[in-house]
Amino acid sequence: MDKSIVIDETNSKSSKINYSTIISKLSPYAGLVLSIVVFQILTGGKLLTISNLQSLTNQVIITALVAIGAVYVFGIGCFDMSLGSLVCLGSVVGGMVAIATGNIFFAFLVCMIIPIAAGIIKGIFASYVEVPFFIFTIVLGMVINAFVLVILGKETTLYLENAVTPIKTFNFTEMTVINVLVLGGFYLLCLFLFNYTGLGIRVKMLGGNYDAAKQTGMNITKIKITAFLVSALGVGLAAFLILIRVRTVGYSTAVSTGNDVMVALVLGGMPISGGPRTKISAGIIGAATITVLNSGLAIMGLSTGTIQICRGIVFLAVVLVASFSYRTKMLPR
Amino acid sequence: MSKELIFEARQLTKHFGPTVALNKVDFKVYKGQITGLIGENGSGKSTITSIAAGMQPATEGEMFFQGQSHKPSSMIEGAKTGIGMIVQEQGTVSGLTVAQNIFLGEENKFRTMGIIHASKMNKAAKEALDAIGFTGVDPSRSIDSLNMQDRKLVEIAKVIYNKPDMLVVDETTTALSQQGRTIIYDIMKRMREENKAVVFISHDLQELMDTCDTLTVLRDGNLITTLEKDQMKEETIKKHMVGREMKGDYYRSDYDGTIDPQVVLDIDNITTGTGLLKNFSLKVHKGEILGIGGLSDCGMHELGKAIFGEEKILRGKVTHITSGDQITTAREALDHSMGYVSKNRDKEALVLTASIQDNILSAGIDKIANKLGVIIPKNRKAYVNKQVQELSIKCASVEQNVQYLSGGNKQKVVFGKWIGRDCDILILDCPTRGVDIGVKAAMYQLIYRMKQQGKTIIMISEELPELIGMSDRLIIIKNGQLSGEFARSEVLNENMIIDVMI
Repeated sequence: MDKSIVIDETNSKSSKINYSTIISKLSPYAGLVLSIVVFQILTGGKLLTISNLQSLTNQVIITALVAIGAVYVFGIGCFDMSLGSLVCLGSVVGGMVAIATGNIFFAFLVCMIIPIAAGIIKGIFASYVEVPFFIFTIVLGMVINAFVLVILGKETTLYLENAVTPIKTFNFTEMTVINVLVLGGFYLLCLFLFNYTGLGIRVKMLGGNYDAAKQTGMNITKIKITAFLVSALGVGLAAFLILIRVRTVGYSTAVSTGNDVMVALVLGGMPISGGPRTKISAGIIGAATITVLNSGLAIMGLSTGTIQICRGIVFLAVVLVASFSYRTKMLPR
Repeated sequence: MSKELIFEARQLTKHFGPTVALNKVDFKVYKGQITGLIGENGSGKSTITSIAAGMQPATEGEMFFQGQSHKPSSMIEGAKTGIGMIVQEQGTVSGLTVAQNIFLGEENKFRTMGIIHASKMNKAAKEALDAIGFTGVDPSRSIDSLNMQDRKLVEIAKVIYNKPDMLVVDETTTALSQQGRTIIYDIMKRMREENKAVVFISHDLQELMDTCDTLTVLRDGNLITTLEKDQMKEETIKKHMVGREMKGDYYRSDYDGTIDPQVVLDIDNITTGTGLLKNFSLKVHKGEILGIGGLSDCGMHELGKAIFGEEKILRGKVTHITSGDQITTAREALDHSMGYVSKNRDKEALVLTASIQDNILSAGIDKIANKLGVIIPKNRKAYVNKQVQELSIKCASVEQNVQYLSGGNKQKVVFGKWIGRDCDILILDCPTRGVDIGVKAAMYQLIYRMKQQGKTIIMISEELPELIGMSDRLIIIKNGQLSGEFARSEVLNENMIIDVMI
């Protein structure tokens, strides 16, 4: 470049640390710590007892698996409200297969295949049909719930004890090992795909500005379907883990997971509309926070309905606070 | 003629975090004058006027308007005191009619017994439009049926209807064709005759020199000088803007318009979905800078999109000759080493809320991944830093969001996206729109260097001087048809082109 024309070659580096960026990066973690401290006090120390920690771990794994995968889907700007229903369908059909065959591997395959198939359908829909995507997923969720009722028939609950050949029961230690391996593996996979392949940038760009992503020559359909497939893996793993841990599945399995995941992503520090601030850590941090919240409220003896109201208030509060931090000053040209 | 002061800023200072956008500026505007403001992107031109209009508060300093202390807390308050502002960005509201847009927020004027009289409003809107000489548009039409230029004119009508004592025209003309510009010039001249004041911000030196009575030059937030009419010379202004003598060539200096016989792109008899291009054919040769000019709605912008597979083609086809493949989507264009810089930078070329790094990476991500699709952070960083350094993008960090960058720096990021990919064919739609002369000159050098590297450049522009200055071959489109073709030549001038353009 002609040096006589270029003005101010040196980039004006500002040495000042941008505190607001750091605060917004740390706030999800602070939120988690704060909710643990608050509920530890409010429950008189019952939150962090050994037995409750065990149940906390089990719950957080399910929400985290679905939420980490959902980061991709919400990241591209697709508001997916069918996730909880899919976990339920996966574990119910998986449970039926397990009972009919007595084979845990077949059950695993079914748990995975169902969300994957649904993921492909969602991806195609999101790419080609001009109906707001969240409406599609609301309807999809309702249809899936109804379908679960239909296939369950007169029974409301399936018990793995009824399997043709006995299915192994995992004790707490074994279950913990499985949980940690599955969640750890999935988290690393998602982290790798997001930060060490082109997928992360594409997801962020597509969520941030559809037109710009398209004019950058991105294969939008491929990105969308990939995002839904990653999300489907998380859903499938969650369905399978519920099945082998709880051993009884039915209509109400994972009933609050769908909502928990949405709240988790927001608590985890990513905008629910996706875009450039999408991050994988939002899934896991947010899942931990919402689980502590749920558990803390339950220990305090609040009814399910009251818990729902509290969660709603927290959700709104977080969205409100997040919207404040959007109000950044813009430099005029 | 004794000059009567209408607006004065004393020691006006504005900080954006660590950035000093305005540094103790004393600025005066007099009645019966058109005061020009010029400076590079980020020099503080728009900051002064936006503070005066109440869009944002100053960090320090005082303002006086009509002799009174002036401290507007909002644009509405600013407008009430008599400051009207026409800005660069689109300011109309989609989904409403032209009339509803003009009287947005003032519907009560037309209300009787709770009902708003559309006919009364339309009549008043018609008067407002006629007052600025913009005739031929029905105020009951939806604003969405108007093109960008006409929407801008509606905004202007709205501002003028409120009879401001001081009018700020902020880089508005960039988006307008000659007809729209003439309307604005007429308004400014009329305001001057009525002994009102105009502050005119533009990047176009020629139009500032033609229109303004005085010209204030800003640089890096400091007021450098104010020139009177007889002191306005292009060289002088540029020198003040840049802070030193401008050397070297602005456009390319050679007149070698030799064109390689090899054709790389064949646009064969295309008709686009919007109907703006009809049975249009064009062959693009290897290594040429092909300039495409015309009026803003002649179809040239659609042509750029159509070549890149972003515009629906009803009939005809675009063929990449080297491979023999047809280009129908942006993805295919990308795969054939083509790049496209949109005219609509903020909406189509950049993700404003994303970082400089992610924006630059978005086009070239497949280039830095290894065979397994894995990206090593070191390579990613090197790729981004290379673009930032080569294009001298001014930023505190590559993690910074592009929305906080100046227009010129944003455009550099867009260039970085495609240059990093090493595209063979680059389609540039208004590449220097809203970009100051320093960056403009750098871009012309860059375009010329790419040509020398054997790359093919299709440059669509509404600015004839840059088309004449840069093109090997210049084609002019009129009403969706080819209306003229010019080879590179020293004698080529604007008048010859305007003849076939209009």
